Amino acid sequence: MPYMDVKPSDLEWKKGSAELLILSLVEARPRHGYEISKLIEQRSGGAVHFHVASLYPLLYRLEKRGWLQGRWVEKSGQRRRRYYRLTPQGRKILASQRRGWQTFVEAINRITEVEHA
Amino acid sequence: MNDWRQRILKRLASLKLPPTREAEIVEEVAQHLEDRYQELVVSGATEEEARRVALEELSDENLLADGLRPVEKEVPQEPLVPGEGEGNNFLASLWQDVRYGIRMLRKSPGFTAAAVIVMALGIGANTAIFSVIDGVLLKALPYPHPERLVVLGSRAPKEHQNDLELVLPSEFLEWRNRARSFESLVLTQAIPVNSQGQDGAEQISGLWTTSGLFQVFGSPALGRAFTDQETRVGENNVAILSHGYWQSRFGADPNVLGQTINLNGQPTVLIGVMPTGFRVATLETDVYLPMPLDPAKPEAVGSRSFRCFGRLRPGVTVSSAQAEMTVIEDQLAHLYPSFLEGWGVTVHDLHDYLAQQSRPALLTLLAVVAFVLLIACANLASLLLTRGIGRRSELAVRASLGAGRLRLVQLMVVESVLLSAAGGAGGLVLGLWASRLLLVLAKHAVSLGQLEQIYLDVHVLAFTMSLSLLSAILFGLTPAWQASRFDPLGALKEQGRGGSDHRGQRRLRAALVVGEVALSVVLLAGAGLLLRTFSRLLRVNLGFEPEHVLTARMLVTGDRAQRSNLVEHILDRVEVLPGVRAAGTVQFLPLGGWANRGPFHFVGEPDPAPAENLQTDVAVVSRGYFASMGIPLLQGRAFTKQDTFDSPRVAVVSKSFVKKYLPHDDPLGHRIIGDWSNPAPTGIVGVVGDIRQDGLTTEPRPTVYLAQVQSPGYITYVVVRAAGQPEQLVAAIRHAVHEVDNNQPVTAIEGMEQYVSAELARPRLYMTLLGAFASLALVLAGIGLYGLMAYTVTQRTHEIGIRIALGAPPRAVLRSMLGQGAILTMAGLAIGVPFAIALARFISGWLYGVTPDDPLTYMGVAALLSGVALVATFLPARRATKIDPMLALRCE
Repeated sequence: MPYMDVKPSDLEWKKGSAELLILSLVEARPRHGYEISKLIEQRSGGAVHFHVASLYPLLYRLEKRGWLQGRWVEKSGQRRRRYYRLTPQGRKILASQRRGWQTFVEAINRITEVEHA
Repeated sequence: MNDWRQRILKRLASLKLPPTREAEIVEEVAQHLEDRYQELVVSGATEEEARRVALEELSDENLLADGLRPVEKEVPQEPLVPGEGEGNNFLASLWQDVRYGIRMLRKSPGFTAAAVIVMALGIGANTAIFSVIDGVLLKALPYPHPERLVVLGSRAPKEHQNDLELVLPSEFLEWRNRARSFESLVLTQAIPVNSQGQDGAEQISGLWTTSGLFQVFGSPALGRAFTDQETRVGENNVAILSHGYWQSRFGADPNVLGQTINLNGQPTVLIGVMPTGFRVATLETDVYLPMPLDPAKPEAVGSRSFRCFGRLRPGVTVSSAQAEMTVIEDQLAHLYPSFLEGWGVTVHDLHDYLAQQSRPALLTLLAVVAFVLLIACANLASLLLTRGIGRRSELAVRASLGAGRLRLVQLMVVESVLLSAAGGAGGLVLGLWASRLLLVLAKHAVSLGQLEQIYLDVHVLAFTMSLSLLSAILFGLTPAWQASRFDPLGALKEQGRGGSDHRGQRRLRAALVVGEVALSVVLLAGAGLLLRTFSRLLRVNLGFEPEHVLTARMLVTGDRAQRSNLVEHILDRVEVLPGVRAAGTVQFLPLGGWANRGPFHFVGEPDPAPAENLQTDVAVVSRGYFASMGIPLLQGRAFTKQDTFDSPRVAVVSKSFVKKYLPHDDPLGHRIIGDWSNPAPTGIVGVVGDIRQDGLTTEPRPTVYLAQVQSPGYITYVVVRAAGQPEQLVAAIRHAVHEVDNNQPVTAIEGMEQYVSAELARPRLYMTLLGAFASLALVLAGIGLYGLMAYTVTQRTHEIGIRIALGAPPRAVLRSMLGQGAILTMAGLAIGVPFAIALARFISGWLYGVTPDDPLTYMGVAALLSGVALVATFLPARRATKIDPMLALRCE
């Protein structure tokens, strides 16, 4: 049998997890782009950082898929900002991505525990 | 704030985003960088440092654009900001307009539905007629190299029109020998054939043909063609089947070749089967039989009663073939002056010849539906004008934001194209459906040649699409131009008060309505003239009484005495059947256009020169025919049982024969000799009334009736006058015929009333079609007028309110509104009537008993249109009188 490269694409892998991060952050309430990027950085303890050049294309992609909805909101004394809210469809996707992620993490854990046992 | 925007814009430039979208992204990303910058500054970084770190977010030059490119390609656009992107991105702005147009049209479903339906009706009518024209006039004939097929015909002396007379067999032989223009020539004659099967005899259709048929039109799909040997006398006992007859009679059995069947009493060997749908010009027959054309005795197969077709040699044109044939016919006239003196020959392209019969009718119908489309377009333009006025404030906003006039016009033309495209799609469906209906209606009325079924093809699709686009642009442009012509400031101030009309727009709308009325006049006048024609045709004096008459066709065979006897015996049985008042036979039924015509002279007078021959129609009828057909006997006697095969020859003549040839004499006792099969002196024993033999609209011609018993023909119609319902006699007549000869088929049994009614099929079709299109036009024009008046009322609400408040009686308001409608209608009539009279001569060929300028028709049209206009005006006018002055004034 010829050799087959079954390693999942690194890029796809990151993109999938980035989507999960963004969707989780706007689950509770709508947030704007800068707020989302700050939260990712803070909660990962600085391990994950999104540049503008990758964050906004991703936000627009999620919006185009109908998972997020962006809306310009003006608050008194501030410049207007675009807030992103989770759509009902996005909520379903988030739930299924979470399940997938947990399954994956558990599987990894089981494997690594067996190695160390 | 830092100058983030320029840097972001630079990175987005390669994407060429729509300006609105680009602005949005720039704003959002700039805000992000500013937030980052501020945060860094607050946490103690220097401005310089904060700036550098924030800009790192943008990182690589191309990263942002690369990330955005796949996403932004399909991001839905926000509504346009007018004034931007003009000129520099035409396609994008067009696409924007299309999307915007769709949204706007969905917002006003009433307007959209009205416009789409109007256009669908107009375009549908055109698609229907065009798809028939496409099939009949434009498609090539289904033969190999159809462009080389021609039809040849004789041209009678002194007949300058191009009609193709039938051909003499001897003429054909000379043509075949002398002409070099043709690869092959074929002589044909359609004949009825008695086919004897196991389950009795049936009459089928046959084509007698020379062997050239297969070189001219194509070869059998199965088996082989006739050999020249097989077209000789005594060796012609073979036949080729049509595909249809092969299927129905032989169950498509491939072993049929070589079998022997009995045709016209002769054992005949089947040698081939023609391909599916094969026909000779328009003729589809069951069997093809070789014509035993003997060069030594060509007249043995018949006289001037054949059709001739040819296939040109490659490279030979119709006109060069015509030139050669003219020379040949001149030579022949010198060789055979007695029967070819003065005759000419005509060569026609076969497709042109077949199309020419329906071309005038189809082109007339195309003109009619073009009128309907014009009216529909005028309605669309009128609707668009109204809408343009309603949207003036929206347009004003766009204009004040910098949208140029062209941009606004583009926006609105796109909308009318959308409407028209939707109308075109509806019209396509409607049109194909209507064209199928048309085929069914036309089936018995006109020959549509090769056309049997209409399919959507690329011609029809292209026609419909270009028609939709053209009408949208032509009729959308003016309203769009009008609507975009305003003073933005004034229009904005008017906001909320509905907006009002400009004088130019009022004039344009009035002109559209006047145009619609005028076009309707033309169509209604055409329909009216055809209606009058039809009612005249219904009242034509046929000269016979078709009620209670049953006819049935037989093909009798055998020698003269046998044929004479057979028919006499059949009559003996049929005339005594219960329920039969009278029975007789005739060779060709009236109205059908079939008649023998030839020269004759009176016995005792010198033979006239050939050119001065006296001409008469000759009909062969039996005893009892005049009584059963209800043709009155005016003088002398009809044929009786005393007239026999061997008794002195007798004839009955028609009233117009006497009027023309014996105006001052007693016709009885005169004897005549004609050039028919038995040139013996024949005594005139009676005079009968005239009948219409050639058709409803052709005046009766002088006719000599010969006795069937003395001059028996082959084709014979039994004609029976019943006491009650003629259909009840069908079985009894069949039975009576089979009692005499069990192998004698009887076909085409039909009531004479149905037969006469079928003769009315063509005028009925024309009347129905033009009537339908004219009604459509009337409805559309009515809607147009109604729309205009209803709109005028909304426009004048304020003014009428003031007038009513000042004490104007409702009657005065009503009168003013009705007056306005009446002026438009009268103007339309004044333009339409002369136009209609001028155009009516194009259908003068369809008219009978009425002139194209028949005053009664035009008065009727004027009355009808005025009536519709009155209703269309009255409804909105009455609403005007109900205006509450307080409400009207409060609108200010």
